[in-house]
Amino acid sequence: MIGHIANLGLWEWFKLRRRWMMWILLVFAILFAQLAVWGSFFSYQNLRDTGGELTVPATLQQQQGRVPRTVRCNDLLSGDPARQPTDLDAQVTAGLAAQCRAQAATLPARMSRAYGNFTLPGSIPNALGTVQTLGLILMAILTASAIGIDYGAGTLRSVLTQGTGRWPYLTAKFLTLAMLTALGLLVAVASIALSSTIAGNLAGAAPDAAGVVATWSDAGIALWKAWVSILPYIALTAFVTVLARSSAAGMAIGLGYYFAEQLIVALLTNFFSWFQNVADYLLVRNISGWTGGAGGFPGTVLPDQTHAIVVLAVYTLALGGIAFWLFERRDVQGATGGG
Amino acid sequence: MTVQQTTDARATDARAADARAGGDQREYVIETSALTKRYGDVVAVNDLTLRVPRGGVFGFLGPNGSGKTTTMGMLLGLVHPTSGGARIFGDPAGRPATLRLVGAMIETPTFYPYLSGRANLRYFQGIGRRGLPADIDRLLTLVDRGKRADSKFATYSLGMKQRLGIACALLGDPELVFLDEPTNGLDPAGVVEVRELIRELGTGGRTVVLSSHMLAETELVCDNVAVLSRGRLIAQGTIKELLREHDSLRLRTTDNAGARTVLKALPWVEEVAEQDGGLAVTAPQARAWEVSRALADRQIYVNELVPVHRTLEEFFMEITETDPTTGRVRT
Repeated sequence: MIGHIANLGLWEWFKLRRRWMMWILLVFAILFAQLAVWGSFFSYQNLRDTGGELTVPATLQQQQGRVPRTVRCNDLLSGDPARQPTDLDAQVTAGLAAQCRAQAATLPARMSRAYGNFTLPGSIPNALGTVQTLGLILMAILTASAIGIDYGAGTLRSVLTQGTGRWPYLTAKFLTLAMLTALGLLVAVASIALSSTIAGNLAGAAPDAAGVVATWSDAGIALWKAWVSILPYIALTAFVTVLARSSAAGMAIGLGYYFAEQLIVALLTNFFSWFQNVADYLLVRNISGWTGGAGGFPGTVLPDQTHAIVVLAVYTLALGGIAFWLFERRDVQGATGGG
Repeated sequence: MTVQQTTDARATDARAADARAGGDQREYVIETSALTKRYGDVVAVNDLTLRVPRGGVFGFLGPNGSGKTTTMGMLLGLVHPTSGGARIFGDPAGRPATLRLVGAMIETPTFYPYLSGRANLRYFQGIGRRGLPADIDRLLTLVDRGKRADSKFATYSLGMKQRLGIACALLGDPELVFLDEPTNGLDPAGVVEVRELIRELGTGGRTVVLSSHMLAETELVCDNVAVLSRGRLIAQGTIKELLREHDSLRLRTTDNAGARTVLKALPWVEEVAEQDGGLAVTAPQARAWEVSRALADRQIYVNELVPVHRTLEEFFMEITETDPTTGRVRT
């Protein structure tokens, strides 16, 4: 049976690799990984060149009605009159300089952190945080498409009459998608590693300061967490696609749920404090809790990792289980259209 | 198209030998017992008990909505029966291991639109572990001379899709082949080619279950038929037997009214009706001489006595109560 499922998985890959969609989604994942690396690089460069920037609100500017502007700490602390802002009141300038002096104490640590965000191995957990969020959406699209096409084009009938068996076929799809997620993340990590090396060379030596330095072990854990966090989302999308027999429904839920849940949690937690307890069992909050990423709103605390992984495992098993049950017992009809 | 192209000779010999050796066990490749499928209040297949003998071409006939495709779906494990059972090669229908011995093209062929015809065949061959990659070229040549094998399926005409569907059904040289309306969308030359192919497929121990609206075609290729109407089996047997049961004679006599009375009294005459100034007598054609003698005994003499052979289409229209002008079942 394992050999049979492995064979079905190989042929699933045969189909998927011939679709432009998969490669386009991979390009998006790589692009977002690059954005994270180069965003951190330019942020570091900016910090190094400016010594930090302070925003001057319109109310503190001499000429009222202007948009907020920034001033560089390096200019303010240089003592060079030519580099001082001429459009600000002397008292305001003095206040800003005092702020800059206060921040200067933490500047080496901030620079060290910023440097670590785009150089290896710290760039990997940093960029994977971005890739993981996008990965949920991308894998939702790929899952809905990979499962939904058999309903839309009516190919499920042709597949099952080959004697594949229903649950082995769906299992092979799940496993292939899970493996593609891992491969996609690995490709993203490879691209992060490449661009981090380039960015590190461009930035020069690391700033001489003791900061929190990420290790290769952190990078491995971030990769593992990113992969695990996407699996329940694949199960959710697969469940909706099988339930509705439609890739469009699967994609709509896959794309919309991520944002809808956060919006609902934010709204309801504001009105009803007890809703925080309910929210702790929702999918996206636990994904955020597991990866330690964004998703928590001010005043709310994300679930801890043990709680999160248990909840995510329950979601994956429950949604996947129902998808299998529906797939196994329903009659197979002709094409429903779409793909 | 020749059968030598479609089948591996050794496989055919093996199948024929198996048919001879296992004839007792597998006299019937398909057996259903009180097979029923309901969709809410609608009974799509009603208490269907059917046996498809091994070897040859089996016609599965019936008007639209008579339950043919649903029955095939149940046999192939696509549709779960409400009650009753079905067996293929003695195993419960729909069992994956059994399905690997079966090829099927149900309704419109369905393939992945973004893959070429060749890639689609490779995929279905791969997931079913059916035969060798070299078989694909042979099958493509067989059904379409490989002309558009590398074009995307989405660009195929209906006829090309049908041909690819037939090729897919023949992957792995299956022992049992289901073909549902295989000549849909084919041009007249294509219809003849596919008819020849089906006839040749039905040799060497293989069984072809053919569902078609083209009754004239069916009559030419089928050995046995089953006729469904409103989900029920209403006739089954060899075409010869079924048509013979409804043999008739056209008769003109010196006294048609008297002849009618005389013939109605004969126990083996089913029906006597007036038709075009003569009589239509439903009776075995082999007893035509007895008709003539019975009338002569009453001093009624025959001017014309013609055996009338019914076509499968006429037989089908009559037993399914289909209106020949509209093609719809009379309610």
